Amino acid sequence: MLFNSIEFLIFFPIVTILFYLLPSRYRWIMLLGASCFFYMWFIPKYILILLITIAIDYTAGILIERWADDVSKKKACLIISIISTCSVLFIFKYLNFCSANYVALAQHFGWSHPGKVLQIALPIGLSFHTFQSLSYVIEVYRGTQKAEHHFGYYSLYVMFYPQLVTGPIERPQNLLRQLHEEKALQYDNIANGLRLILFGLFLKMVVADNLGQYVDQVYANPMDFNTLDISLAMLFYSFQIYGDFFGYSTIALGCALCMGFTLIDNFKAPYQAGSIQEFWRRWHISLSTWFRDYLYIPLGGNRVAVPRWALNTIIVFTVCGIWHGANWTFMIWGFAYGLLLIVERGLRNIHVFDRIENGTGRRIINLLNIFKTFLIVTLLWSIFRATSFANLHDLFAAWAHNVSLPHQLHVDAVTWIALGIFIVLDLILKQRRFDNWCGQLNPYLRWAIYSVMIFAVIALSSVQHYPFIYFQF
Amino acid sequence: MTDETRHIILKIAKKCLLLLLLLVVMDLVYRFTLYPRDRERYCSLLEFPQIPIRDTADIIYLGESSEFSCSPTDTDRRSIGTMIGDMMPDHKMGCLSKGAVHAAIYYDILRNIPRDNPVKTVIVTVNMRSFSSEWIYSNLEQPLQKEQIMMKKAPALYKRMLLAFKAYVHWSEAERSKLVRKGFRRQTFTLPHPFPYHNASEWDHAIANSFQLYNGKQVSGDTVELACHYIKCFAYQLDDKNPRIKDSDKIVRLCQRRGWRLVFNILADNMDQIKTLAGPDLEYLMQENAQYIIQRYEPMGVIVVNNQYSVREEDFFETFVTEHYNQRGRRNIAEKVAEKLNDHYSQVINH
Repeated sequence: MLFNSIEFLIFFPIVTILFYLLPSRYRWIMLLGASCFFYMWFIPKYILILLITIAIDYTAGILIERWADDVSKKKACLIISIISTCSVLFIFKYLNFCSANYVALAQHFGWSHPGKVLQIALPIGLSFHTFQSLSYVIEVYRGTQKAEHHFGYYSLYVMFYPQLVTGPIERPQNLLRQLHEEKALQYDNIANGLRLILFGLFLKMVVADNLGQYVDQVYANPMDFNTLDISLAMLFYSFQIYGDFFGYSTIALGCALCMGFTLIDNFKAPYQAGSIQEFWRRWHISLSTWFRDYLYIPLGGNRVAVPRWALNTIIVFTVCGIWHGANWTFMIWGFAYGLLLIVERGLRNIHVFDRIENGTGRRIINLLNIFKTFLIVTLLWSIFRATSFANLHDLFAAWAHNVSLPHQLHVDAVTWIALGIFIVLDLILKQRRFDNWCGQLNPYLRWAIYSVMIFAVIALSSVQHYPFIYFQF
Repeated sequence: MTDETRHIILKIAKKCLLLLLLLVVMDLVYRFTLYPRDRERYCSLLEFPQIPIRDTADIIYLGESSEFSCSPTDTDRRSIGTMIGDMMPDHKMGCLSKGAVHAAIYYDILRNIPRDNPVKTVIVTVNMRSFSSEWIYSNLEQPLQKEQIMMKKAPALYKRMLLAFKAYVHWSEAERSKLVRKGFRRQTFTLPHPFPYHNASEWDHAIANSFQLYNGKQVSGDTVELACHYIKCFAYQLDDKNPRIKDSDKIVRLCQRRGWRLVFNILADNMDQIKTLAGPDLEYLMQENAQYIIQRYEPMGVIVVNNQYSVREEDFFETFVTEHYNQRGRRNIAEKVAEKLNDHYSQVINH
């Protein structure tokens, strides 16, 4: 079920009202049932894959706890669990890609091969709930989380509907604990939750979807557009993906908050970051912290020699790229971020602007840094957005050569206004959450903002269907 | 329920009321600002129901692309509806047509014709392809459903909300292809003699894989593709579960309520080519389906004009599966409809 669908407008109030009507001890049953229903709305049979992952990691958690003193058994259990869970992810997400590359390679070298590229459909949100499931097993192994013995609660931890499909990727210490807590009806939770949902819908439906139509036009046939059009499409994509994903995460946070659950904030004004490192501390926080805690630090993190650190960085970001999708473009995108971080660290030792410490000068440098980071991120998003290398090549070729072509991309006023509002709001909010900021406003101003947003969501949103970009991951 | 909970619920209820009030105001604002633009953008059909009033038409002809498609060599480019109108000079004809529309859309157009209308007769085009999965799950269905939303009798802002929250089919291309394939498997039929295939999918695959027509003749890829297309479009057996039959039933009931004489005009298909490429079995199924329409709707008082064989192969001007005729083809159809109507109006046809 999509958050921006009529079905969800019916589903959400029913689930929330039922949640508060039921006695605490029965709520998990209703929430689990609702989450299954939410997931099965897409393709029902894929819930079986989810159940397999849940069963593996639930059992692994209990066994790891049971063998807490037997390191070898505990480790074996962890490894089996990780391999099994990742195998499911590999089969559904990467097998097609591997088989396609194998077939292409075989054709290139004239090897005999089966000649058929596998076509397995990717269950929605598989990468997200796989990572959430893995974080539980690893935390139990590390002893920082007790194993969950109640299968229902564990299933709900993986399947909790607001964050099931596109995250935030929760940690057991945060969500699993909250699932056991008794939640009382609180006005602030409802009000803040609804504010977040409205803001999320605005970001997705008014900002991202309106920008999406122009981005799609350009990326579908880049050669037909001139340099300015392509630059605009790249810029628009930066805000489309931000609005789309931030929107989804915000709605997820809002839905959970209406029932009294607090999820991880996934974004903190990432386009106001002054460096690539800072960008990754603010963008898709639940994923970047996942990689930090479960891959980067176990590899040695930054407490190793520089060459080893550089290798770790490259590994982590390349894996991060592949996590996003089984395509060489994603891998290159991740790899590029790894390289950039290494370059950034190298440049940190060059103290050109160190004398400028305060005042206007420092502010200008900060602004320049933000602008530089945004440009790099925007450029890299074009690799992320391209459907293939050929598409990427066309995009850059057209960018470089189509300077004199007539302007083709006619952007309507609604899109410009929506983008303007988004940028202004992002600058006002900085790292604050919309609900907290809005809650402190004068009630008249607050209701004026609600009115504008509701009107925009209904009357100014795109009527084209654009699935959430991160659904494909 | 504690006092605190009661207090919270009351507070939420007050806010809901305020929101409702705001929505009413927003509806007014929307109606007078953006609604005309949205109507123009998303609903070309919205003006259709007003046409019979504007033109004081007592007969209206509802059609799809067969109505406005002309051969490049045509000297007479009049549509079928216009030709019928010209053959009945004592009546005023209003023609409403849009490509790829089907019974569900016709129903919405008819439903929206204002009560104070001069309409006495409604001629509805029945394209036999529209009952097949290929059309039911067509990629043109999405824009048509958006038009249907805009044609609803509801507050303007509510209709826009339905569009914004995607209350229409929004299949991806992969999902749509899957639905179409699944639909072909559900297009089952029984012939009066033993037949190796039980549904359109099996039949289509057999022909596509063998490159052989029904008579064993080996043919080229293009011919196989055309034969398969005919099979996918027409190899089904109509029953009351077909969504288009349900929509047609709704049209019949609506016309009965409004006191309109209803004519179903079964369009011609390229039966010559169908016989050559897909053989007598597909022809039999198509005849059966036309008979189903006649037998179902004539007892309900509907005039059914069966034009299935009215246009010969040379009068189809395109090489793929369509109901696009040249001027002679259109005239043949118009004549048959006008003749049948004439029986009811007892009027001389002006040839």
